[in-house]
Amino acid sequence: MPDEPVAALSEVTRTYGGVPVLDSVTLAVEPGVTAVIGPNGSGKSTLLRALVGATEPTAGEVRHPGATGPKPIGYLPQRVPFREGFTARETLAFYARLVGDDPDAALERVGLGDAGDRRVEALSGGMRRLLGIAQAVLGDPSLVALDEPASGLDPGMRERAFRAAAERADADTAVAITSHALDLVDEHADRVVVLDRGSVSAAGPLDDLLDQRGVADVSELYRVAAGETGARAGDEGEGPDDEDESDGEGERDGGDAEPDVHVTGVSDR
Amino acid sequence: MTGPLTGVATVFRRELATVVRTPGYGVLAVGLLAAVSGLLAAGGGGATGFVPAVVDLLLPTEALVPLAAVVLGYRALLADGASGELAVIRTYPVRVGEYVAGVLLARTVALVAVVGVPYAVVGVGVWLTAAPDTGIFATHAGVDSPLLFLRFLAFVLLLGAAYVSLAAAVSALAASRRSAIALGALALVAGVLGGDLLLLRSLGGGASPATIPGALALTPNGAFRGLVFEHVIGVAFAPEGGFVATGRAVGSLVGWTLFGPVVAGATLAYGRRVDAALERVRSGFGV
Repeated sequence: MPDEPVAALSEVTRTYGGVPVLDSVTLAVEPGVTAVIGPNGSGKSTLLRALVGATEPTAGEVRHPGATGPKPIGYLPQRVPFREGFTARETLAFYARLVGDDPDAALERVGLGDAGDRRVEALSGGMRRLLGIAQAVLGDPSLVALDEPASGLDPGMRERAFRAAAERADADTAVAITSHALDLVDEHADRVVVLDRGSVSAAGPLDDLLDQRGVADVSELYRVAAGETGARAGDEGEGPDDEDESDGEGERDGGDAEPDVHVTGVSDR
Repeated sequence: MTGPLTGVATVFRRELATVVRTPGYGVLAVGLLAAVSGLLAAGGGGATGFVPAVVDLLLPTEALVPLAAVVLGYRALLADGASGELAVIRTYPVRVGEYVAGVLLARTVALVAVVGVPYAVVGVGVWLTAAPDTGIFATHAGVDSPLLFLRFLAFVLLLGAAYVSLAAAVSALAASRRSAIALGALALVAGVLGGDLLLLRSLGGGASPATIPGALALTPNGAFRGLVFEHVIGVAFAPEGGFVATGRAVGSLVGWTLFGPVVAGATLAYGRRVDAALERVRSGFGV
């Protein structure tokens, strides 16, 4: 079923306290890398949570026709939530056991092979994020949803995190990423969704969108589609997003603001 | 190799490791041992035999064991939900029932260690130090025996398991650590005092005293107290029994133990839908 999307949202609305955070969003997530961009509070995290089933829409429908296998969906929340007191290897081993995967190979894939014995709380924010990516792709899911995977990483690590995510995408696998790193979106995304105040203001293959809007890159597309409110977010590094989108299930991202940092202890592969 | 047992076993292992690595639970066990030993020393029953020791411990146990169980369970299912990790776990092939079962089994094993070990240590202490010969394994009613203390210990663990389970249900319902503490305290007070107060109220309202053995068995504390009177204290002093309906009391404790996971499972399985439904209502009313 090559024409079937991996996941599809149909008229999805989600409100909090009666205020719509997502408003009638219709979207098909195709194989390849789909980047979701938009200003802070535009609904990116809620969109991703609805996509993976972590948030129930108040209206509309989410389907996963092309997401198959024992673990059809992989998910990295905006705030990496792993339990303290466990090492990176133990953390991944817990998840790997559930899908019969190899935690050490997963650590190696994201360059954390040398940090396996470090406790989660002793990892830098960037290393925790890489651990989260390693977790999300365990079990070869058809749909990988990563909420700000490059947040808090130095430029080299941001590139690597995006590349690691993009490498998962193939003819049967869709990778959906929310990000403010528009340069990396430009480089790696096959499709782009621009959210603005809970609605989709542009969506489609990246090249088509650039042609249609007569712009040269994603930064310009962002400015045109999302307006000037978020125009400065583009290339200034990343911070946590969508702090107003919590649904009480742990997504409020209070103290997670991190400057771009060099991630020590992470190998350079 | 994945399946229901893999899911339960994997969650169980992680939860048990969490308990083992939490120093507070060790402190709780030591504190419980000190409390139980102190109460026994103050009451003097431990110097006489197992049954007098049980008499000394019965009332404090009805408060101490539920308290320890609630401490063990009040955050059991909240932690992953509050951190957001539950949303990640649910992308894996683990059903809500398997997750709840794994967590609760681990917390119940922890209860056996945190509560069972202090009581067992005290029992061994009584065996070694009590003045009359307590080394007789009773084959006839009216004789003090370590077996009676073992029965007491079994009832203590049943009571604790019921409260761990109820506390876990509370932890699934709570939205934050603070609300979990409040709900846990409420469950504790309701469980420890509520049943007796309701029973007294019904007797004051004209209910027949003949209904006491049946009604007593319905609450965890009433069932526990009745079983201890019926099968530990009463064996030595009142062979005719009749303190509580044994089957109903055991069924009640098992029922409360199963009630917790059912509530917790339903909360985790349907909580999001209920939340979305409430949002729909709120949006409909323009609140």
